[in-house]
Amino acid sequence: MEDLLLHTEELNKRIKEISDYKYALDESSIVAITDQKGIITFVNENFCKISKYSSEELIGQDHRIINSGHHAKEFIKNLWKTIANGKVWKGELKNKAKDGSYYWVDTTIVPFLNHQGKPYQYVAIRSDITERKRGEEELKKTVKEISDYKHALDESSIVAITNQKGIITHVNENFCKISRYSRQELIGQDHRIINSGYHSKDFIKNLWHTIANGKVWKGELKNKAKDGTYYWVDTTIIPFLNHEGKPYQYVAIRSDITARKKGEDEIRRINEQLEEKVESRTHALELRNRQLVDFCNIVSHNLRAPLVNISMLVDFIQQSNSVEEQQSLFGEIRPVIDHLNEVFNELVESIQVRQDIEVALDKIKLKECADRILKGFESQIKMYNANVDIKLHGIKTVLFPQKYFDSVLLNLISNALKYKSPDRNPEIAIEFKRCDKSLVLSVTDNGLGIDLDMHRDNMFKIRKIFHKHPDAKGFGLFMTKTQIEAMGGKIWVESKPKVGSTFYVEFVNQFK
Amino acid sequence: MNRIKTLAIVDDDRLFVMLTKKVIGQTGLVDNIQVYESGEEVLDYYNSTLEPGVEFPEVMFLDLSMPIMDGWQFLERYQKIPAERKKTKIFIASSSISPDDISRAKAIDEVTDFIIKPITAEKINEVMRKI
Repeated sequence: MEDLLLHTEELNKRIKEISDYKYALDESSIVAITDQKGIITFVNENFCKISKYSSEELIGQDHRIINSGHHAKEFIKNLWKTIANGKVWKGELKNKAKDGSYYWVDTTIVPFLNHQGKPYQYVAIRSDITERKRGEEELKKTVKEISDYKHALDESSIVAITNQKGIITHVNENFCKISRYSRQELIGQDHRIINSGYHSKDFIKNLWHTIANGKVWKGELKNKAKDGTYYWVDTTIIPFLNHEGKPYQYVAIRSDITARKKGEDEIRRINEQLEEKVESRTHALELRNRQLVDFCNIVSHNLRAPLVNISMLVDFIQQSNSVEEQQSLFGEIRPVIDHLNEVFNELVESIQVRQDIEVALDKIKLKECADRILKGFESQIKMYNANVDIKLHGIKTVLFPQKYFDSVLLNLISNALKYKSPDRNPEIAIEFKRCDKSLVLSVTDNGLGIDLDMHRDNMFKIRKIFHKHPDAKGFGLFMTKTQIEAMGGKIWVESKPKVGSTFYVEFVNQFK
Repeated sequence: MNRIKTLAIVDDDRLFVMLTKKVIGQTGLVDNIQVYESGEEVLDYYNSTLEPGVEFPEVMFLDLSMPIMDGWQFLERYQKIPAERKKTKIFIASSSISPDDISRAKAIDEVTDFIIKPITAEKINEVMRKI
């Protein structure tokens, strides 16, 4: 009896203990019990709360009522296999509440076995991990998004990361490919390893200034690959800032624009060439046009004038009744025709120069040529007591048609002697100077000089003379200008009456 | 006006001057012909003081193409001469048929007209109508 009493007491104590446990479990966990077929036989309040079903709605239902469909068939099969074999299953399950919302539970399913060792019911103890799961999912999503971005960036761009000092800490495949360095060769190196030296100091300074101040820099950079070739990259450098707001690393994202740059260079080069061509063509056309106008004037003034005279003479001869007068008038015709012939020949000569576009260039030795031409003036130089000085400034040759060059030099020296001052001995300075790609010849004299205010426009025109001199014909300078312009050069003059003149001749494209 | 007392020819072409004088002579409309061989020469004349009772020519035939100072250069300087001395009607007499020359000449106030050489009796009659 005493034994039984003791036993009952012990039993009561045990029951209390178990009830306490159950209470604690009910309070803390989500508890459900199903039979061996999965039919719910018990749910606690927490279960109802989270699944949003009432216990009446749940009891007698298949446990799959809260199935979310989230888990793979394999996963569920494994769960059932475990517990059907009498083993405890632990895992995280996603369930569906009555209102269609989902919740995650950390789940332990304990099979209760009969005396045959077969489960007759399952007790599932769960705790709500929805929040944690949501965080995890969010994180996973973010990580995936970021790695997707990284993948896309790595595929599309040239990426490098340096520390705040410019030491390379990361490069992607594309960077290695374009720079032709291996990753091992780059990591730990100063970023200047790919510096091309193309950009100005100020440009690079501005770049560093921008990113060191935590600002994004965008621009186009020319870099040098390992093999010494150059490439252009459109570059964005993003500084990453520490909590103090100071950059601790720089991410440079680049794209290859070498082809575009080459294209741009090519276009620029072609444009420049075109501009040059247009300019020279325009210049040639302007020259041609001016020459045409000049030519029209020459025909009008210099050819038509003698013709007028002949026609007047002929009219008078026809009108006249006196044989004597007729003969006298007839005698006037010859000189006019001779004059006409002379002008005509001069014109033909100048036209030949203009048409002689393909005239061959000769390599003329300046010293030899000048000496030879001066030899022709020897007697005049002696007679006038003239002094001729030649300065070559180390220039030895000129590229020009020999016959034109001879004619130019001859005309200029001849003029310098012909229009000497009556008051002093002629001083003539012949000088050759380099001026960019051209060679400029100057012939300076201390002769009569020319009133340029009056004659500037007519200086190089045919049959224009500026001094009364028996040999002045107005053909030499006209011809000289024609020859020089035919070769693309220029002639001009500086002069002061009674002081002297300097004629300048530009020979183009003499130096590379 | 039915007669010209004095006419000046400014031209360096002696043959042309001789023939033109002949033509003018045949018309019998001009009493007196003066000849100047260059712009300089005639300019000096216009800058000089004339004897009392003597007047500048009523008409001038001015050539354009002359050495040293051509017709244009003469006109440039002639324009600066005080108006009271410039009673002369100037006709450009040029062999030029260039429209540029003609329009340039007509733009100058002091130029009455442009005659294309040769100078004929008809052209002299026309000159008479214009003065």
